[in-house]
Amino acid sequence: MSRSVWKGPFVDSYVLKKAEAARQSGRNDVIKIWSRRSTILPQFVGLTFGVYNGRKHIPVFVTEDMIGQKFGEYSPTRTYYGHAADKKAKRR
Amino acid sequence: MINASEQISVATKTEKLDLVCVGAILGAYGVEGEVRIKSFCVEPSDIVKFSPLWEVDGQRQYVLSGLTPRKVGFTTRLGGIKTKEAADALKGVKLFAHRSEFAQLDDDEFYHADLIGMTVYDLDEKKLGYIKSIQNYGAGDLIEVATASKTKTHLVPFSRAVVPKVDVRLGHIVVDQRVSEGFEQKQ
Repeated sequence: MSRSVWKGPFVDSYVLKKAEAARQSGRNDVIKIWSRRSTILPQFVGLTFGVYNGRKHIPVFVTEDMIGQKFGEYSPTRTYYGHAADKKAKRR
Repeated sequence: MINASEQISVATKTEKLDLVCVGAILGAYGVEGEVRIKSFCVEPSDIVKFSPLWEVDGQRQYVLSGLTPRKVGFTTRLGGIKTKEAADALKGVKLFAHRSEFAQLDDDEFYHADLIGMTVYDLDEKKLGYIKSIQNYGAGDLIEVATASKTKTHLVPFSRAVVPKVDVRLGHIVVDQRVSEGFEQKQ
């Protein structure tokens, strides 16, 4: 069963506080969080969170298309090294 | 920033890295000398575009003729391989392509093969480590930087703000001071 709409999206309160503080300070530091279960809200867009994966904080730059998903989806807990071959990386 | 001896080592390394691993031979297919290959390319069938492929030492080359998709990888014929025994002997051989055969990219695009192994400096020209890998977990590309101790790695967002300079020719990148401060705290 999905979550009731009247409750609104779940976010740990400390994540909201940290995000608000980062937005007010205007600094673009990585916000370290441990809450993988928190939903990504529209006010998080443009901020970079360091989402803990049990070992280290993975930098997650929040964009509009990530709204509604959970932080944990962007911080895998298992390591995988594939082959580089002709893979490309784009600097945003 | 980089002294002469380091520049020489980077140049030597770049020459060695001219070959990039794009696949591997899995074994023989049938009795007429066909082989099964696995492609590491983003679009697996693109491996045929890099033909002829080379062994790691660049001594022996293999011309791919025809590529048939199978349940695992592809089957193909390699130039000069006509028997099952010869094909079986190649099991486990990695196939390399020349970096120069890769397509030209836009300004802010880089091949992982170029970035991996690059030296990482901060804005104060202090060496932080080298690039171990490039990861993407769905929220943009991340650079995994291994420190000199090689025991710890750090993930750095691959953005203009954090990585203001990427010099493929010299083989180094510069990361913003804020990130390097984070490095010192963690170490």
